[in-house]
Amino acid sequence: MAIAIGIDNVSRHFGPLRAVDGVSLDIKAGEFFTLLGSSGCGKSTLLKLIGGFDAPSAGRITFDGKDMAGIPANRRPVNTVFQGLGLFPHMTVAQNVGYGLRLRGLRGKVLDDKVAEALELVQLAGFGPRDVNLLSGGQRQRVALARALVMEPGILLLDEPLTGLDEGLRQQMRDEFGRLHKRTGATFILVTHNQDEALSLSDRIAVMHAGRIEQVDQPQRFFDQPANAFVARFVGIEALLRPETVERHGDEGIATIAGQKLPVKLATTAQSGSTVIAVRSDRLVVGDGAAPLPGATLTVVESVFRGLHRDVKLAFADGQTIVVAIPADRDIPAVGAAMKVGMKPGAAIEISSSGMPEAG
Amino acid sequence: MTRDEPFARFVVWTLTLLGFVAIYAPPLYLLGVSFNPSLQPGLPSPSEATLHWYAALAGERALLAALWHSLVIATGTAVAATLLSLLAALAYVELHARRATWFLVVVLPMFVPGVIQGLALSTILTRTGIKASALTVMAGHLLWAMPFAFIVILTSFAAVRRSFLMAAADLGASRWQQFRDVTLPLITPGLVSAFIFSFLLSINEFTRAFYLAGRQNTLPVVLFGKMNAGASPTIYAMSGAIFLVSVLCVGAIAVRALLRRPQR
Repeated sequence: MAIAIGIDNVSRHFGPLRAVDGVSLDIKAGEFFTLLGSSGCGKSTLLKLIGGFDAPSAGRITFDGKDMAGIPANRRPVNTVFQGLGLFPHMTVAQNVGYGLRLRGLRGKVLDDKVAEALELVQLAGFGPRDVNLLSGGQRQRVALARALVMEPGILLLDEPLTGLDEGLRQQMRDEFGRLHKRTGATFILVTHNQDEALSLSDRIAVMHAGRIEQVDQPQRFFDQPANAFVARFVGIEALLRPETVERHGDEGIATIAGQKLPVKLATTAQSGSTVIAVRSDRLVVGDGAAPLPGATLTVVESVFRGLHRDVKLAFADGQTIVVAIPADRDIPAVGAAMKVGMKPGAAIEISSSGMPEAG
Repeated sequence: MTRDEPFARFVVWTLTLLGFVAIYAPPLYLLGVSFNPSLQPGLPSPSEATLHWYAALAGERALLAALWHSLVIATGTAVAATLLSLLAALAYVELHARRATWFLVVVLPMFVPGVIQGLALSTILTRTGIKASALTVMAGHLLWAMPFAFIVILTSFAAVRRSFLMAAADLGASRWQQFRDVTLPLITPGLVSAFIFSFLLSINEFTRAFYLAGRQNTLPVVLFGKMNAGASPTIYAMSGAIFLVSVLCVGAIAVRALLRRPQR
C-alpha cells in the first residue's frame, strides 16, 4: 500500500556543509513526487535520508505518521532504483530480482512466479537465466526496476534513474515509470536534474537549491507563478526585469520599466523585500497581433537564427532586454528599429528577486 | 615498423626463452639429479636413471616427519592468515579517514627482516616461558604471511561496490546477510589466492622457523642441515617429489580452467 511521507524540518550537515537545510515537505500517499535540482543541491542526500541510508542531523521523517528515526534501510518499506543500479554481478537476472523475496523467506514456485511476474511487468519476460553483466543499459535499468517493484514497496525511490541512457531509451523508460506508477499505486519519489522528466511525470515537484526547497507545486504552476527569480530561471524563464515601481490593484498591477507601463500579475502571497518581473516569452506577441494588446515598444538589439524560429533580442531604454521568438520566414527586423511587443494576460509576473544574479 | 618486425620478434623471443631457462633449468636439473644412482650430484645417463632414492624416501623418517610438520604448519598458517586478513580488510573498508594508518600497521611486519623477527620472537618466547612448538612457528609465519594475504584480499575488495551493499540493504538484507550474500561471493577469488599465497610463504620459510621450531624442525631447516652434512641424495628425491607435485597441481588447475571456459 502506498505510504505518505512527512518530512519535518530535516537537516543533514557534513561538517560545515549543509547538504539539506531545514526542509519540510508532505508527500501524499500514491503521489509521483519529484525532487528537482542541479547537482549538489541536496536532492540525493534527502532521498538517502528517506531510504534510511543516512540519518538526519536534525528533524523528523515519518511514514504514515510513524517516526522512522533509528529504523535502518533494510527494515523500511522502501525500495530504491539506485543511480548506479547496484545490480549484483554474481547473480543472474532472476537471482537479482528474487533476492529481496528470498530474504523474506520465499522459495520454490511462489518465488519463481513472483520473479517471472515482475520481469513481465518491465517487459523482460524470459530473461531470468541471463547474466546481468551481458545486458544492455536499458535492460539493466529494467532489472533494477523489477528488483525494486517485486518487493511491492509502499514507496519507490528513483535516484537519477535515467542518467547515462541515450535519448531514445530515456523516453521509453520515462513512459515506463508513468505506467508503473499507475499500475502499482505506490508513492514514487524521483530525484533528477532533468526538467523534462520532472514535468512530464510528476504530480508535484520540489525545486531544490543549496539544501533548501525553493518551491513545491504542480508542474504548470512553476510557469504560472514561479516562487522567485531562481525558480524562474531554473524552469527557463530567462527574462527577469527590474521595475522602477509597481502599482498594486488587488492581484493585478502596473509595473513601470524604463518609463513604459506593463500589466503584471502580482504574487498571490505578499512579497517582502525586492521583486522582479518575470516575462514568459510564450505569452508575448509581435507584429499585427500586438497592436490591440497592452505592451511596450522596444528597440531591436540583435536577431539570431535558431532553425524553426528566430530569436530577437529587444531592449528597454534602460538597457534591460527580453527575447521574443518570431517565425523564421518573417522579415529580419533591422537592428535599431522599434518594435511593439504585446503582452497576453499572465505574460508578466511579479516574483521575489531571491536568487536573482547580481546586475553587471 | 614493419621492417623491424622480424628482428624485434627475434629479440623478444630470445629474451623470453632465456628467462624461461633461468627459471626452469635449475629445478629441472635437480629433478634429473634425483634419478642419479650415484652419491655424487650430477645428471645420470638415461640408462642409469633409477627411482632408487625415491624408494629410499619412505625409510627417511626424519625427512618425512619434517615434511608432515611443514604441511601442518603451512595449513594452520594459511587458515589463520586468510581469516585474520579478511577481518583486517573488512576493518579497512569500514575505516574512512584512518585507512592509511591501518594499512601501514597491518603491512609493516612484511618489512621486518626474518632474522630480526625470528630472533625477537624467540627471545620473547623464552622470556615468557612458552615452549617452542608448531604453534610458535605458526605465529612467526603468520606475521610473515598475513601482510601478503591482507593485500591480496584488499585487492579483491575492489569488486565489492558500495552500491551493491546499499542495494542489498534496500532489499532487506542485514549487515550479516549483506556480507554473506554479496561481499563473500565477490571476494572468494581473493580469499583462495590469499590462502595459497600464505601456504606457500609458510612452507618455504626458513629463517623464522629456524629460530622458532621446537624439537621437530620444518622441512627447509632439515633439508638445509642435511645439505651441509653432505648426506644422502634422498634430499634430491624429496625436492624432486615436491617439484613434481607442484607441477601436477598447477597442471590440474590449468586443465580444469581450460575445460570450463567454453561453458560461458
